[in-house]
Parts: sequence; C-alpha cells; structure tokens
Amino acid sequence: MILAGLPFAQLAAIFAVAGAAVVAFYILKLRRRTVAIPFAPLWQRILKDKEATSLFSKLKRLLSLLLQLALLLLLVVALGDPRAAATLIKGRNLVVLVDASASMQATDVAPTRLGAAKDEVKALIRGLGGSDRMLIAQMDAMVTPLGPMSGDTSELERALDEVKPTDARADFPRALRFATDSLRGVDNGEIVVVSDGNLGEAADASGPVHLGDAKLAFVPVGKGRKNVAITEFSVRRYPLDKSRYEVMLEVTNTGPDAEDVELSLLGDGQLVDLTKLRLKAGERLPRFYPSLSGASRTLEAKLQRLDGSRDDLPADDHAYALLPERRRAKVLVVTPGNTYLEAALLLDEYLDVTQMGPREFAARGGLGSGYEVVVFDAVTPAQPPKTNAIYIDPRSPGGAPVKVEQELAQPGFDKIDRKHPTVRFTALDDVNIARGHKLAGEAGDKVVGSSGGAPILIAGARGGSKFVALGFDVRDSDLPLRVAWPLFLLNTINWFTDEDASYLSSFRTGDVWRVPVGAQATEARLKLPGGAEESVPVHEGRAVFLGERAGFYELRPSLGTGAGANGADDAPVTAFAANLLDETESTIAPAAEIRADGKVAGKVEGFHVGVRREIWIYLLLAVALLTAVEWATYHRRITV
Amino acid sequence: MGLLSGLRSLATFASGAPSSRSSRGGGDDELFDDDFQRKLEYLALVSRRVFAGRMRAERRTKKSGSGVEFADHREYQPGDDFRYLDWNVYQRFGRLLLRLYEEEEDLAIYFIVDASGSMAFGDAKKLRYAKKICAALAYVGLANLDRVAIVSTSDKVMDRMQETRGKARIFKVFRFLRELEPAGTTDLGDAMKTFVAQHKRRGLAVLISDLYDPAGFERGINVLRYNKFDPFVVHVVDPSEERPKLFGDVLLYDCETGDEREVTVTAKVLDRFREVYREYLAEVDRFCATRQVPYVRADVNVAFDELILRIFRRGGFLR
Repeated sequence: MILAGLPFAQLAAIFAVAGAAVVAFYILKLRRRTVAIPFAPLWQRILKDKEATSLFSKLKRLLSLLLQLALLLLLVVALGDPRAAATLIKGRNLVVLVDASASMQATDVAPTRLGAAKDEVKALIRGLGGSDRMLIAQMDAMVTPLGPMSGDTSELERALDEVKPTDARADFPRALRFATDSLRGVDNGEIVVVSDGNLGEAADASGPVHLGDAKLAFVPVGKGRKNVAITEFSVRRYPLDKSRYEVMLEVTNTGPDAEDVELSLLGDGQLVDLTKLRLKAGERLPRFYPSLSGASRTLEAKLQRLDGSRDDLPADDHAYALLPERRRAKVLVVTPGNTYLEAALLLDEYLDVTQMGPREFAARGGLGSGYEVVVFDAVTPAQPPKTNAIYIDPRSPGGAPVKVEQELAQPGFDKIDRKHPTVRFTALDDVNIARGHKLAGEAGDKVVGSSGGAPILIAGARGGSKFVALGFDVRDSDLPLRVAWPLFLLNTINWFTDEDASYLSSFRTGDVWRVPVGAQATEARLKLPGGAEESVPVHEGRAVFLGERAGFYELRPSLGTGAGANGADDAPVTAFAANLLDETESTIAPAAEIRADGKVAGKVEGFHVGVRREIWIYLLLAVALLTAVEWATYHRRITV
Repeated sequence: MGLLSGLRSLATFASGAPSSRSSRGGGDDELFDDDFQRKLEYLALVSRRVFAGRMRAERRTKKSGSGVEFADHREYQPGDDFRYLDWNVYQRFGRLLLRLYEEEEDLAIYFIVDASGSMAFGDAKKLRYAKKICAALAYVGLANLDRVAIVSTSDKVMDRMQETRGKARIFKVFRFLRELEPAGTTDLGDAMKTFVAQHKRRGLAVLISDLYDPAGFERGINVLRYNKFDPFVVHVVDPSEERPKLFGDVLLYDCETGDEREVTVTAKVLDRFREVYREYLAEVDRFCATRQVPYVRADVNVAFDELILRIFRRGGFLR
C-alpha cells in the first residue's frame, strides 16, 4: 500500500491538529439551558432510573468521541489517497476504437449495434482501475479521438456520448495506426476494438500495421446477417440527347437466405419504376433502366422487403443520385460559313448559338465577351478572347494560343489521349485528313491528338479560359461525316462549361470528395443531408470534403470578394448526392475475430464493473455512513 | 349598601392607595373585579338554595344532630351514630335514615391558602386561581353567617386573617388576599401544626394548595385530621405542568428549593414525566378518598365559578 496523495508525515500532522481540536471541543461542553420547574421531586423519580445507567451514558459519550476521531482518521487517510502498490504500477493505457461505420447501424441488437457498442464501452469505463487511463476514438472513414487519455469516468462517458453513426466504411488500418501512435512509449498499452468485425485487412498502402508492444482486444457486437443492399447506383444523361437519361443499379443480397424485395425508383419523389425481385443468398443483381425521360432532377432507389419488414441494416436500402443540371450555354461561332459546324451545333437544343463573320466579330471588339464559348472556324482573332475558345485550323500570327507551324500532308490521329474529355466516346483513329498544320502549344498544354509526333489537337488553358485547337479544316477531312464530329464539339463545349459527360451522379461516402466550384471560389458552404451547414475548403477550384452521410448535398461557393459566405448568395449552387454503395459494409454478418499484425485479437480482461480501485472513495463512503449513523443516534438521543 | 357598590367603593379606595407593590401573584388589583363580584352574588344565591334543600343531607359530619331542632333526614352511612337513626321511619319504610338537627352554633371555616413559591410558578396562575376560590367560598361562608378565617402558608403560617362573619366582611377578605405574596418553600406539615395550635376552635379547614410538598402532602392533611378539623382539599393544578416545554440538554432547578439537576430531555423522558405527574395526582386522590377527605381538583383552566359549583355538588363544604 502506498500513498499517492499527501505524504504520511503531513497526514500525521493534520490528524494531530484536527484530533486535538476535536478533543478540545469535546471537553468544552456546551452550557446547558437553565429551566425552572415547580416541583423537583417529580423529576427525581425519573432521574432515579437514569442514574442507574449513568455508567453506560459515560461510556456512550466516550464512544461518541471515538466516533468523531474515527471519522477524522478516515478523512485524513483519504487525503493520503492510499492505493495498492500493484494497481499503481500496473495501470493500463487503453485506446478504445468504437466502430461507427454504416454496418454499426444494423438493428439486429437493440437499439443498434452502435448502441450496444456504447454499452460495452460504458461497462469498460465503469470497470476501469484506479490507475487505468483510456482514450475513446470513433472509427469510421477517418479516426476521431473524442477526448484526451483520461481516467475520469464522467469525462470518458461524455466522450462516448459524442460517438455518432456514419454511412461510411471503417478505415481499420488508419484507426490502428492512430492507436499505436497514441500508445507509443507508454507502458501496458492496449487497443480495444469494439466493432461488428467487418473491418478488412489491417494493412494499407504503407503495408501492414505493426502493433508493437500494444495488446489488441476485440469486443464483438451484433449477431444478425440478413441484409439486402443497393450496392451500385448510377445515372447519366445521354450525351447527344440530354433530355433523356439512363440508370444503372445493382442489388445484392448479403444475407444467408433468399429474399423477396421490391425495388422502387423515384424521380423527383414520383415513382418511376417498381420491380419485384427475388435474390438468392449472396446474389448480385444488376438492373438497367435505359431511355428514361422526364424533368427528373433527383433520383432515389428504395428497397423494401415484400413482407413489409425491414432488414437488419436499413441504411443501405436507399440510394440517391442527381442528374447533371442542364443549362443553356451561349456559343458564338465566328466563321465565314461552315454548314458542318452549324449542323453539329444544332444537335444540342441547350446550346444558344450565335453566328457572325470575322469582320463583324472584329468590329465588336473581338473579345467574345458575353459568351461562354467562341468557335473560331478558319479564323484567327487578332487577340485571344476572354472566354473559352475552339480554334479550328488557326493561323499565325494572331491571337491563337498555339503556334501554327509547318503544313502536314495527309495527317491522321495516330496518337490520341483517349482519357481527355473532349474525345470521349469518339473514334478518331481512321479519320482521313487531306492537309493540316502542326500545332505547338506551351508547357502545360495537353496534346490530345497527334500525327507522326506532330500535334494536331491541343487542349489547354490561357488566363483562366480553356481552349481547344484543331490543326486542320474539317472540310478538308471526312470528320464531319462521322458521329465523332458532333461528339467532339459537344464534349469540348461540355468540358468548357463543366457539364462533363463523366459527371458523377453520386459520391461514395467515406471518400474525399472533390467537387468543382470554379476557379475563383476560395471557400464554400456545404449543406448536409440533415440540413446542417458547414464551411469546406476549396483547393484548385474544387471543394474538398470527406463525406460520411448518404443523401443530397448542396454546395454554395464563395467567390472570395471578401463578403464571406453571405456574399456568395448569387453564386451557382452545386447539388450532388452521396451513397454508401459498399458491398463489404453491407455484409453485416459479424466476425468472430479480427486479426492484425499476424495476431488474433483477444478478449478484454481485467474490467470489474462497479468496483473502483481508488480506496479514498470507500473511505469517504465510510465517513458518510458513520456520519449518518451518528446523526441518527444523536437525534434519537442514543449517543447523548 | 349592596355588595357590588361596596366593592366598587373599595376598589376606588384601593386605587388611591399605593399599588406599586410588585406582586409575583401579579395583577391582583384586577383579581376581584366587577365581573368576579357579580359571580360571587350568583354563587351565594345558588348556595342558599343548595344548602336549604336537598344537598344539605349530603355532608356527613360528626356535628350533625348535635342541635335540638330537627332539620332533615339523610341516608345512613357506615360509621354514623346509631342513636340518630329514625327507627320510626325504618319501621314504616324499611329504610335506614339519619335524623339531622340544626347546629346551634355557627360553623368555623378556615381557608388555608398555600402561598409558597411553587404556587407562583410560571405567571402565578395557580395562586390567582387559589385566591379566587378562597374569596368565593369565603363569601358563601360569610353569607351563611359562618365564621370565616384565612391563613396563608408556605413552610410556616405566613399571615392570617382573624375569624370574621357577615357578608360585609368580604372586603376584608379581598384585602387580605390581595396583599398575599408568594414566598418560601412548602412544608404543609409544619405549617398545619402551627395552624392547629393557633386555632383552638375546630371547624372546616379548606386547604387550597398545589400540594407540592417535598416532605409529602399527606403530613399537612393528617395534622388537620388528627386535630379534629374537617379537612377539605382543593388541589390547584395547572395542566401545562404536565407537559413542560422542554427538550434537549437542560439544567433544571426547583423554583422553591433551588435544587439543580442536569437532564437531557427526550420525548421518552417527557412521556415518563407525564406518567409520574399523573401518578402523583392519582396518589393525592387516592389518599383523600381512603381518608374520607373531600377532595376537589381545581384545574386553572376551568372557570372558577364552575369549580365552586362542582365543590357544592361534591358536598362536604358547609353543612
């Protein structure tokens, strides 16, 4: 037994002084109240009986003094904070990783797996030893410590209350790395994972996680396995007919039994399609909905069991998507006249095309302001326009962003950057071209197509505006006769206006989302599915956010005018959706064990709920009890 | 001059006299006010009717039948003198009746008022009550042409009012009682010995006391009995003494003797005291009953005129 509080000498001094005071007060009895009575012999008759017990009374008074001294002794010893030497030396340092991934929302145990996990952790907190310290961290797509490492049970319980469920998968390796880092250099380190166990390998891009000296314990939660999930959900507009769109989704039965489900597809809250499906155990069933039309903006897929009951994990029974917004782009075509060009631009009804001759363009300032895209067809402006531009067969010198060098005889697209958005869905390899010119861009420009090493299609940006330069006149080729021609034009215009055909209809929860908000934006406000708002940073024209909730989001960029978020009221709002869509997370069968660093996690041991190892608490309890007894006996006139 | 007008003039006279005398008996100037005197008149009327009628025969005294003029019959009680039995009535009705005769001499009534310290305990309620009873009974006695004398006692005879008779002498009684001051300890035995030595003429001795005698209340009464007086005990009690307002650690001291005692008063102790107090009352009652001493318990909270009527009903007072 050692004293963790005041040293013995100090305690002895306190007891001596306080004890002397108690004895002094005891000796200095209070003066009794004097009261007259008419006839004392009547009282004598009673007092005769009491005199018989006067010895016992004296003894009781002595007992009273001893009781006071005992109370004082208990208090003084409590000040010393006595502890068993073993508990002080062997105090544990625990990092509790509470799984808050989507699968922890499963309702197979009441109220949810996360609720059960919290109960388990609460039991651990209450069973902490006097010298044990604990840190609670939430484990989801990231790892969030919810407080400092502490032995204070109320502080730990407050931290535990802050654990909230997410719709993301758990990043086990990251959480383990955090835990091992927290326990580095600390004795008796122990990592406790409270989870349903679907955590995957304890390894990431840096390799397997090494636990070092830390002990790994696992508290399993959950028992159910039945779940049917939407594991894929995607929607896109057709590039050439943006009024129509197609939807692809995939339903997976991760449970052990066959399930009959009803799949609903809703557009703007209205039912678009309803399908009854029967899925065998473990079956993945893709569904494709082509050529859907209507004014749908939001799409939602919903799964429901045919018998009306809910499966164990309702969180993955919904999926959300947003169709890319359609807006009318203003396009200026500067051309002496090109039927192929005009015809191609007519294909997209959402293009507001204006055509003018080179002279008229020059007369109007030659800057193309007021248009989102300017197409220069065999025309080279005197100065570069302050907007996005397509240069078809440009000539030097002039305002073209690229240099036009030597002429090429019968060039062809023998090298194409197929990943570039301007050439998506196109087949340019066999385009026949009579003549063209080699183009020379600047550093940072992208050569999308080249002929024998000579660039003939270059994409890039100048002064914040994008451009695409095509090194030949399309009328000197069979390109206008191909589907690739209008696709190339529309792809380019979409690339300029960020109406990318590769638009992501939804993001995955647990990923870092990079949502384009425009080059000028410095900050953005994000409205979450629950209605809450928060600021997100913007990096290289994209708002960066780690999303963990499924649903619809709205992003409002701030243009950096100094007005802050409120000054961005007129900025365009970007809406997008986020979904779990993770088959691993939807597979909710609890794991019996977890492994890390080649070891199987053991069971938690050494927690005794309701037993505190700090002796001073029991000493104070004893003081309270003795005081209560003394109070009761005093008022019942037993001890006086 | 009627009693009331006489009393009023006495009151006027008394108000002119120095009245600064502090009295632990407290407020005795107001003791015999108009209301009190009105009640005395009423009680005197009632007493006349009572003693002239059926109640007369209820008082058993050795003096009954000592006159020559037949007055009344009463039921035979064990111990009565057979000589006074009316055998004619027995022959006719089969009932043993005693023949009573008018007294030829007037009755001497002595009022012995306990004026010890305990009678002034608290706000001297007991002493004031005792004075009222004494005045009322004295008036009734005087109205019946009996000889009335008053003595005040503590551990000795403190003061005495000589025998007097006639209604008009009630003022003397008032004056005597008003000037009565509580003092000293109680020793009824010694006081009564002095009393009997001073009063050779035997008669009715009305003892008005709280009977708080450390040497025992019996001694005083027995002295009266043994000296052929007819003792009549009016036991003045204050019910608040049964439930003293005490709690906790206190130092009790006797207001007469000054004896001190440390006591821790609890509810249990109070209950025990209540028992002892009741035992004491019962003891007095039992003593008087066994000695055939008329006994009346005078609760200070009961109106004094009600008590006087109770005394009349109880019998033993006057004839």
